[in-house]
Amino acid sequence: MTIKYKTIKEIKNMISQKEISNKEIIKEVFDQIQENEHLNAFITLNKEAALKKSEDLDNNPIDLPLAGIPIAQKDLFCTKGLRTTCGSRILNNFIPPYSATVIENLENAGCISIGKTNMDEFAMGSSNETSFFGNVENPWGKNLVPGGSSGGSAAAVSAGIVPAASATDTGGSIRQPASLCGITGLKPTYGRISRWGMIAFASSLDQAGPMARTAEDCALLLNQMCSHDKKDTTSLDDAIPNFEENLNQPLKDKKIGIVKDLDLSSLDNEVVKVYEDSLKEFEALGASLIDISLPNLSLSVPTYYVVAPAECSSNLSRFDGVKFGRRSEDPKDLEELYIKSRSEGFGDEVKRRILIGSYVLSAGYYDAYYKKAQQVRRLIKNDFDKAFSNIDVIMTPTTRGPAFEMGSKGNDPIQMYLEDLFTISANLAGLPAISIPNGNIDNKPTGIQIIGNFLDESSILNFAHMFQTSTNWHKYTPEGVKE
Amino acid sequence: MDKKTVTTISYLSRLRIDKEKEEKIVQDLDNIIEFVDQLNDADTSDVEPLTNPLEKTAKTRSDQITAKNLKKELLEIAPSSNDDYFLVPRVVE
Repeated sequence: MTIKYKTIKEIKNMISQKEISNKEIIKEVFDQIQENEHLNAFITLNKEAALKKSEDLDNNPIDLPLAGIPIAQKDLFCTKGLRTTCGSRILNNFIPPYSATVIENLENAGCISIGKTNMDEFAMGSSNETSFFGNVENPWGKNLVPGGSSGGSAAAVSAGIVPAASATDTGGSIRQPASLCGITGLKPTYGRISRWGMIAFASSLDQAGPMARTAEDCALLLNQMCSHDKKDTTSLDDAIPNFEENLNQPLKDKKIGIVKDLDLSSLDNEVVKVYEDSLKEFEALGASLIDISLPNLSLSVPTYYVVAPAECSSNLSRFDGVKFGRRSEDPKDLEELYIKSRSEGFGDEVKRRILIGSYVLSAGYYDAYYKKAQQVRRLIKNDFDKAFSNIDVIMTPTTRGPAFEMGSKGNDPIQMYLEDLFTISANLAGLPAISIPNGNIDNKPTGIQIIGNFLDESSILNFAHMFQTSTNWHKYTPEGVKE
Repeated sequence: MDKKTVTTISYLSRLRIDKEKEEKIVQDLDNIIEFVDQLNDADTSDVEPLTNPLEKTAKTRSDQITAKNLKKELLEIAPSSNDDYFLVPRVVE
């Protein structure tokens, strides 16, 4: 028996039917990690503790929603006693004294954390090429990027090493890598999942979420990840529905908003065709397509590249070499300690964003950039509010194309920033959005994005699940189509 | 964006830019600022800035100690510390 490419639901069945023991599962995971070492998907492994937990489960089985399920955790979540680097040299030696709430929630539900996944440094990147620990390779092809920033999490699920991984999304960091690696990835409503213990990048945009092989598994994970947390003032205390309940609702009479302002002419013809085929599939499932207008959508990337760097420059001021993390050798005074520790500890992209943030927040530029961007952010949110008065979900392609070659976006940061063209607006407006596999171009997967109204994860999961009951794009693996 | 501005914001950010990378950084930042200048296309007169998608006021809580004192654990992971303090180079002669 093997758990390779299996879903959580399938693995739960295998465990309950006693087809496989918990320890066999964890042993296989670590064998698979070794076999896939070239992917560089992991930064730190949790082998001993994971094996121990699986043995305990074999000896004393407990009935929990995720009992024995191996999960890879993005290295942006603090994990008590287990090194947490955020992909950065400055946290190379950081062992947190506490765990993030979302990690505690998942582990309390019985899951086994098998290790920490590689990522763009401080989640700043769309190709996993900014990690201090090296590039991650996309399981779909040598030298292809897995996307970012949650590139290690996406690669680990895509390669079938684990059925699921935790991830975070500030401008597309769950959805874009999910799309490029052919898996399902969900960014919930801002505030649904506690940010306590998540290393902050842009606090008004950051949100954790699940990556898995199916929307059904994402719903199961989301049920466990969400909680109201007093330790995070932006954690929502709205009722948390059972996200598995609405998965099978028929799509008849449901309305899909299609953004007429979106210029698809810059995309490959094939990407547009795959996208349009998916829309036809949704129509066949009973939904109707309605033209909507989001007139300020084209300003979402420039808005993001003011707001996110501003928040990042403020959040990352805590890394000063004094209280935790890496300190430079022999600083001559306190100021040199700060400057050397930070200059040696951060990579180029992180520095670039801190500098942009300091610039847009500095006296004389604050109104022209930061305030202006926050005003445009409201216009974008207003556009969504208006559109959702008449529709259930909005659909777009997730990315401009399938996975690209490492190094191919070269030296131009703006080309990389435009990778998140379709995903960023959901973060600015705080809305939930999911990416699901919807095609394959030259043996490289593509994704479609479904954006939901505030707090309405149930609708996007419903659309995603119904699509996955009538298509099999989510069953494509780098080794062929799964039975 | 010019070298002088980049030197100022680097210092504000407590970052040192390597000499050989300076020109590229000035160019990159200049391009990024030019890119975000598109924001001027939007008419934002009378638009309230949106700082957070929730727009909720921070909740208050009763002033009770709920967290455990992690002093020992926190000092242990510091780059340099003694029993009570984080240690840094001398600041007062």
